[in-house]
Amino acid sequence: MILLDTRGLEHPVPLEMAFSAFTKLHGAQILHMIHTREPLPLFELVTKNEGKYYSSQDDEGIWHILMTRDESIHLESCRV
Amino acid sequence: MFSQGLSLEQAPPISVVLRFFLSVPVFGIFFSLLLIIYPLEILTPNHPISLSAIHLFFLGVISMSMIGSLFQMQSVLGGRPIPSVLGNSLVIHTFFTAGLASLVSAFFFHIPAMFVIAAVLLGSSLVFLVQLILPLLFGGVVHDTLRGMRLALISLLITALFGVVMAVSFANETFGNLHAAIRTAHYSWGLIGWVAALIIAVAFQVIEMFYVTTPYGAWCKRNAFRILALSLILKTSWLFLALPYLWVFDLFVAVLLIGFVITTILRLRERKRRVGDVSIWFWTMGMGLLLISLISYSAYLWNWSASLETVAIISFGLFSLAIILGMMTKIVPFLVWFHLSSSGYLETPIMSTIIPAKRNKTLFALFTISSLFALVSVFKLLLLPVAGVGFFLLFALLGYNLIRAVRLYTHIQKTGTRFVMNANSIA
Repeated sequence: MILLDTRGLEHPVPLEMAFSAFTKLHGAQILHMIHTREPLPLFELVTKNEGKYYSSQDDEGIWHILMTRDESIHLESCRV
Repeated sequence: MFSQGLSLEQAPPISVVLRFFLSVPVFGIFFSLLLIIYPLEILTPNHPISLSAIHLFFLGVISMSMIGSLFQMQSVLGGRPIPSVLGNSLVIHTFFTAGLASLVSAFFFHIPAMFVIAAVLLGSSLVFLVQLILPLLFGGVVHDTLRGMRLALISLLITALFGVVMAVSFANETFGNLHAAIRTAHYSWGLIGWVAALIIAVAFQVIEMFYVTTPYGAWCKRNAFRILALSLILKTSWLFLALPYLWVFDLFVAVLLIGFVITTILRLRERKRRVGDVSIWFWTMGMGLLLISLISYSAYLWNWSASLETVAIISFGLFSLAIILGMMTKIVPFLVWFHLSSSGYLETPIMSTIIPAKRNKTLFALFTISSLFALVSVFKLLLLPVAGVGFFLLFALLGYNLIRAVRLYTHIQKTGTRFVMNANSIA
């Protein structure tokens, strides 16, 4: 799992970093993005580019977004 | 794969928003020309050329940008896409543009019949816009920005209805006893309910998100729009009933807006990462101009000096322009990057290079100089044409920035290479 912590970075850096990292994923790799907000536009980018994602919020209000390009991976079971 | 309040693939096509944005510099240049050629008339309250300039600015520049942004905001924040967004936005833009051109011509060339055409075109475009978007803001997700958008759209509808009534009066060249009350209600709902409410709603969303600040207080976010709405409703009732102490409601609004200014400036100063960004300069400048407007208007309520009222109106207009320019420096690169990325183009540039920082800084410098001259021109008329030249250059540069961004987008669309995602490789 590739970790990308974008907490504290100003717009649009987190979005650009996350999408760039997503396009470099291979096979069953999973990108785990940690962010202070739910990056809604990123989800559209991921799905339009034939990827899938799962987002969840922890008890401290931090968002964890898992992304992959492998259709067979069940991201919810990888949830952090 | 689930995200509350967001249905995927609902961002409108880029042309929906850019069509409105590209019209802004055109009307801005016409507005600037009026400042250069007719300074005395512009600063004469209720002069037809002054009314032409005011509507060119608040409809052609400010509202045109805000309506374009609303199409994007509703789709992303509202949780439900706008139906037939391409066709509907085209109809609204066409009617709005033609209506504004008719209204400005009616004032400028003194053609009473044109007021009727303007009323039909502008009124129908705005009513159509509101009935298209407003129902989508109810029944789904609810957050503070959405509440602000509701108030803004309802206010726009009320402003338009008062505007239609006034246009009919101008067409007939007969003004009833309620004309002054209608006029005050028209600009109060327009400036506070439409412009200020939408800017506050946007601030609640973007200040925290773009600049990584602490959020606005929950009480403020929950009650700001209620206070604005209540003040406007009571002020309108007082106006039509001709009751005393009307200024109390203006004071309520002024106190709320001063609170907004102070909170926003504090948020921007307490940023966790102080990255240089022209959009922050525009926000800070906008807050300063809003403060000038509020202080001038409060002083005007005290001694009824026409100059103070003019300073208040000019600085309010400049406040809204500052926020719009600041947001455009963010939104336009985002839209180009987002739509190219979502189509998987390898050549998609990073957002900071789509409109170079140097051009954005020049835009800010032009805005600052022009604003200064415009405000001082209330006391030194000769400076208004100088401000006009500054605004002319500003809108020309804005147009150039927008056209360059569009050309970059279309060039990559035509010649770019796309990812081949299924093969897990790059073409």
